[in-house]
Amino acid sequence: MIAKKKLIALLLLLAGLTLAALLPLGISNYMLRVIDMMLITYVCVLSLFVIFGMTGQMSFAQAGYWGLGAYITAILTTKFGVAPLLALLVSALGTGLFVALVGMALFRLHGHYFGFATIGVVMTLNGIFQNWTPVTGGANGIGNIPPFGIGEWHITSDLGYFYLLLFFAVAISLVTEWIHRSALGRSFMAIRDNEIAAKCMGVNSYFTKNVAYVISGVYCGIAGSLFAFLSSYTSATSFVFPQSVLYLVMLMLGGYNSLLGPIIGTVLLIMLPEWFRPLQEYILLVYGIGVILLMVVMPDGLIGGGKKLYACVVRKKCQPDDFDKSADNGIG
Amino acid sequence: MVLDKLCKRFGGVVAADEVSFNLSPARVHGLIGPNGSGKTTMLNLISGVTDMDAGKITLAGEDITHKPNYTRARRGIARTFQHPRLLKRCDIQSNLYLGIDLADKKGHVANPQDASLKEILAAAGLKLDLDESITTLSYGQQKLFEIVRALLTRPKVLLLDEPAAGLNSKEMEQVDALIGLAVRSNTAVLLVEHSMDLIMNICHTITVLNFGRKIAEGVPAEIQSNDAVIEAYLGRGRSA
Repeated sequence: MIAKKKLIALLLLLAGLTLAALLPLGISNYMLRVIDMMLITYVCVLSLFVIFGMTGQMSFAQAGYWGLGAYITAILTTKFGVAPLLALLVSALGTGLFVALVGMALFRLHGHYFGFATIGVVMTLNGIFQNWTPVTGGANGIGNIPPFGIGEWHITSDLGYFYLLLFFAVAISLVTEWIHRSALGRSFMAIRDNEIAAKCMGVNSYFTKNVAYVISGVYCGIAGSLFAFLSSYTSATSFVFPQSVLYLVMLMLGGYNSLLGPIIGTVLLIMLPEWFRPLQEYILLVYGIGVILLMVVMPDGLIGGGKKLYACVVRKKCQPDDFDKSADNGIG
Repeated sequence: MVLDKLCKRFGGVVAADEVSFNLSPARVHGLIGPNGSGKTTMLNLISGVTDMDAGKITLAGEDITHKPNYTRARRGIARTFQHPRLLKRCDIQSNLYLGIDLADKKGHVANPQDASLKEILAAAGLKLDLDESITTLSYGQQKLFEIVRALLTRPKVLLLDEPAAGLNSKEMEQVDALIGLAVRSNTAVLLVEHSMDLIMNICHTITVLNFGRKIAEGVPAEIQSNDAVIEAYLGRGRSA
């Protein structure tokens, strides 16, 4: 039974990957750029999945960390001529280090107080991006960021970036899923569900929260660096508090009990405005009402709600079968 | 494990006033007293959920008085709660593994004398579907599950906070069986409980608290005939 489930999951994954790899064939350049941005956003939503979805610590600072990753890459490549791959690495580690410092200070706060403090972090970071002109270029931002590449080879097209971003999105998804199933992931979820119980089960919650936060920071650093390469220009206007809120909405829309949640949430919220372009003026209204309805009807997000619905339908059909199975598998 | 003169005040209320007693491997120690006498506070002090004002706790010769609660858990102090604290959004498997993870962290080497998972689950009378949400268990099953999770950590000391409260008679027998299992794996058990049947039947020694003070300690038969204990529970007779 379990082997069969694994096989199905593997086949689905392969089918999804093939589909994703073939996706750019026959779509416009504009659409390709939208999808590239979607993959970057997805990595940021995954960062929130780790710190909020798994660990239960609401961080509104993710957009700021994303910006930090972008600025590190922008500064290193344009002012110091650092190789792109190294700049990517430094962005990831540098952002991780910064987030570790923030976490060490802020995880002395609990619950909502931590969340509020992270709003301060994203605002502070944005203020620095906008005003520290000698370093960040101030309101003008930093332009002429070279394309991503290794050695002599450079990515020259949006299609090339698509495959690069797809690679990172898949790799980070796999890492996240591995964490989700590991003892580390369980200690994250223990903190989310019951911090006192977690501590009594030997989980050092302060340290473990920091580990989760640093992982999420590294994700944002990578996403930021890739964003800088993709757009060849960074300015403070992208890295703002509302962007963090958007990540949260995406995560809540999809649901945070499995990786499918961030995928569905990101795809829907990026693609819906594209599909419903004629309704431009009403899109925020639709969003707003949609989010409210979702939280009332499906508090576990689309994936959680869908699962419940599926279980309901299946149960009705094969209740006697279910009963037999549990009787056979019982221990003792 | 030696508890030496533990003290705790909450504002003007003295919840623990120089309480001392010892726990020994493979022995069940009962902790009883009227409501509000400081029993749960004692468990919180021992497990490190609450900081104490004074006193000293020694576990297997090591002073753990100033160790945080996760360190105490790693040294071998496991506990349950009056109302079960399980991972509500996780499936049963993750909840079970949380206990096994801690045993791993302790570098536990499999020992044939230890109760295995199957044996523990059989004693608890739990038939679990690992993929189901933990919330599919009834209240009684959740309380039993919490003891199972604590046992999976291979504890040196097991603190049980009213494990039988709210359970039916069959589930109470299962609590009894789980405590028996803990004793056989050489665990020291501290049992806070209002069910006198359970206390008097399985405890080797009993400590009685009243208003945060220890008023008696001894084997069940002594406690049952102790005047101070009877007075604490029933009040002083008019003629006395």
